[in-house]
Amino acid sequence: MLKFLNILCAFLFAALLAACGEDEHPIKVSLGNREEITVKAPQPAYTYAYLPQYSHTESFNRHQLLVAYLAEETGLPIRQVFPDTFAQHISMFGQGKIDISFSNPFVYVDLANRFGAKAMARIVEKDGRAEFRGQIIARRDNEAIQSVEDCRGKSWVAVDPSSAGGYLFPLALFDDHGLTLRDFKEVVFSGGRQENVILGVYTGLHDFGTIREGALKVVENKIDINQIRIITTTRPYPGWVYAYSPRLAQSSVDKIRAAMLKLDYAHNPRHRAILDAAYFIGFVPSDDRDFDPIRELTWKVERESE
Amino acid sequence: MSKYSLKGLLHSLRFRTKITVGVALMLIFSGLSIGLLLSAMSSRALLDAGKERGMALTAGLAFRLVEPLLAMDFLRMKNLIDNNYDQYDDLLYIFLTDTNGNVLAHIFSGGFPTDLLKVNQDSRQPQPLLLSTEKGAVYDFNVDIILGPRKLGSVRLGLARAKMEKQIQQQRLISLICTLGVVSLGIVLALWFGRTVTLRLNRLRESAEEIVKGNLDVQIGIPLERNCWDIMKCDNRDCPAYGDRRRRCWYLAGTMCPQHSEGMADSLNVKSCQDCPVFRCNSGDEIQDLAEVLDIMEVTVKRHIEEVTERGKTIARHQGLLKTIMNVTPDFITLQDKTLAYRFASKAFCDYFGIDEEEMVGKTDFDIFSERQAQLNFHEDKQILLSGRSLAKEITFRRPDGQRWLHIVKVPVYDQDGGIMGLLLTARDISVLKTIQEQLVQAQKMEDLGRLAGGVAHEINTPLGIILGYTQLLMDDITDQELLGNLQVVEKQAKICRKIVADLLGFSRSSQSVRETVDLNESLREVVQLVEHAISLKGINIVQQLDPTVPPLSGDKERLKQVWLNLLNNGADAIGQDGNIVMRSCWNKSGLIEVSVADTGEGVSPEHLDKLFDPFFTTKQVGKGTGLGLSVSFGIIKEHDGTISAQSPAPAKYLADAASPGGSSGPGTVFVVRLPAEKKSIK
Repeated sequence: MLKFLNILCAFLFAALLAACGEDEHPIKVSLGNREEITVKAPQPAYTYAYLPQYSHTESFNRHQLLVAYLAEETGLPIRQVFPDTFAQHISMFGQGKIDISFSNPFVYVDLANRFGAKAMARIVEKDGRAEFRGQIIARRDNEAIQSVEDCRGKSWVAVDPSSAGGYLFPLALFDDHGLTLRDFKEVVFSGGRQENVILGVYTGLHDFGTIREGALKVVENKIDINQIRIITTTRPYPGWVYAYSPRLAQSSVDKIRAAMLKLDYAHNPRHRAILDAAYFIGFVPSDDRDFDPIRELTWKVERESE
Repeated sequence: MSKYSLKGLLHSLRFRTKITVGVALMLIFSGLSIGLLLSAMSSRALLDAGKERGMALTAGLAFRLVEPLLAMDFLRMKNLIDNNYDQYDDLLYIFLTDTNGNVLAHIFSGGFPTDLLKVNQDSRQPQPLLLSTEKGAVYDFNVDIILGPRKLGSVRLGLARAKMEKQIQQQRLISLICTLGVVSLGIVLALWFGRTVTLRLNRLRESAEEIVKGNLDVQIGIPLERNCWDIMKCDNRDCPAYGDRRRRCWYLAGTMCPQHSEGMADSLNVKSCQDCPVFRCNSGDEIQDLAEVLDIMEVTVKRHIEEVTERGKTIARHQGLLKTIMNVTPDFITLQDKTLAYRFASKAFCDYFGIDEEEMVGKTDFDIFSERQAQLNFHEDKQILLSGRSLAKEITFRRPDGQRWLHIVKVPVYDQDGGIMGLLLTARDISVLKTIQEQLVQAQKMEDLGRLAGGVAHEINTPLGIILGYTQLLMDDITDQELLGNLQVVEKQAKICRKIVADLLGFSRSSQSVRETVDLNESLREVVQLVEHAISLKGINIVQQLDPTVPPLSGDKERLKQVWLNLLNNGADAIGQDGNIVMRSCWNKSGLIEVSVADTGEGVSPEHLDKLFDPFFTTKQVGKGTGLGLSVSFGIIKEHDGTISAQSPAPAKYLADAASPGGSSGPGTVFVVRLPAEKKSIK
């Protein structure tokens, strides 16, 4: 009996020890020892901006390898910056906060017209073309929209008024089919995000949407893209373009262009990884004349706006 | 308190207290142990949950800060941090640094506590880090803001530990209350359980005490709510279980239940009954089983006790009967073991030898008899024990009250194995039988003697009649006086001979008798008148005490008068000079008339008493009597189907009024004659 009591006491003592165990030792820190602090200015570098058609995170993920490659290849300090909107992108370019702009041809035309931006190179899309197209999409179960004409009277969600594939190309297409902005029930912009356009159509919030060709792949892991049907595709226009600020030294421009053109998607795995992340497969040299069709389109759009 | 006194205290506690205290101690120990352990585990879990929450908050913030950080949108950074800080009151601080260690945003006003930048700088260290600040303990979380392979910055978040500790304290208080509640409930249940168990145990104990006291009618087991015949809807009244409300049917042997295996030798083998609905309904726990077994034991013991009691009564009755027989029987009965020590002796034996019956057990012949007699008995008894042959013998010895005869039978007693275990002795006092035998021999002798005397007398009577006739004829013819005188002597002696012959004939019943109704008292008075004068000359007084109601009897009056005359003369001869003779007559309802003639004479010695009625026996002087008077009287009375006996000294009642006026007064003799009244015939 006494032995049993001893065992019980030992067990209880062990339980108490286990219960009271404390293995954390705090470090003494004073919250009262305050100082005014300032942020140190970053090192000077060439700024690289991707027209914010995606989130900053997506933009970063797409271009950080390319930015690092260009900096390494050219030996120039290059830093990616993230404007929030197209307008901010244009504005920042104008303010000199963006030295290298990767934008769609409309923005480029605007930048070129307003701030003297010069085309440096065009990207080659994954389909091997240096042009790109816009697409009109609707839900697959939306039987009311089978052709461009069926979009009349419907709710349209577009990427941005400045978006080439996501707005302007389809707008020109509608113009060719005799549809003006007044022929739609409404035209809503998704804040520059291709994903938002697709999600707006997918959720049924809007009857159809306009996106850049290839944007559906971006969301294929998020939604069932089989529920989305492509109504039609616009004619090809010159694709996205790298432009540089007139303030950028020509030697630096040359280095950067050379580094871009050096990227070999087919034979260099590292280059392939860089280009895969950026969602294109290479570069072709480009100059400002390549974008005359865009200027023509812009004219149409302006006319439409009037 | 020493170990032994504690053990003694534990042993002295009531069982109910032991159960309650034991269970309470176990509950307290286990409750406290488990409560403390669970409390510790839950405290740790709460703490871990708090840390995870802090980590989740920090990680979430880090995720949301990616875009503003990429865009270097300080306003959004600040708003995000402030929103989080305002949302939770246990957040002490949040700040954001870039990869260069610049604090891009924070919630502090009035400067930044730079000490925070010196600690927990590496997010790869285990997170969070516990800091001790003026505002209490703080968990500092450091989460990197990473996009792809690139680190963009770090988020630091300070989570006050006070709220977690408060939750932990609340949880511990709840655990304590719950533990105490459970322990208290357990103690209450232990009390109830202890009471329930001890109640049944106490019932068992009280029932056992009742059984010890001899009360076998207590029922220990709980009465059944439904009996087997109710459950099985059985109507077999021949089954031993039917109607037995005290015992469970599976404990009974020979039940006729179809569920019960046939030929079950052991009634306690209940395996075949375990699937029976009666068993499932009525079987209980071990205590109930014990109570039921005790019930069965009680019933069985009661039945056995009743049987034993009945047998005891029978044995006691037989013992009483045997003892009565042993006490009443005049025979001597003893039982000796192989050592010849007495194991039993009948009352007659003990009384005879003057030994107490209880003291007799264990004694031997050497304790009772003389050395010589004991030696004789010992060898005789040993012979019987060795040979196994029984012994029968008659022994005689003299005691103060006379010669005694015993008929002894000794037989060996065998046990169940066939061995001799002792010796049984029976002895009967055959003194009376021996006396009767002697009397029988005497009677036979008298019969033979009478027959001889009668034959002789009959043969002598004729020549004697001729002698007397011719003598008388000669006397008539002879004138010579001398010759005549001689003839007269011859005639006288011949007449004496004829008298003797007549007496012999009377003794042998060879004479003729006349049957008539006789007034006894009258015959007595006539005889008294006849002899009264002659006897009175000797100073002898005859006292007559005659019952006037004595009925007449049928007989020969003259011969009876001869008897009375003989008895009176005999009495007068016994007295000699001066005395009393008391003559009484009386009768009883059975029709027996008694005549007694008692004298106050010298009496008769005991050895002569048996010979008084023998022919020619006399104690008188030679020439005074022939010795035929009493024998003739014996013959006459016998002829009248009566008896005659003599006692000496005479009992006082026969001499009540025989006060002697001055003569001698001896022990006296009384002759008692008993005759039947109204006799129909005299053989």
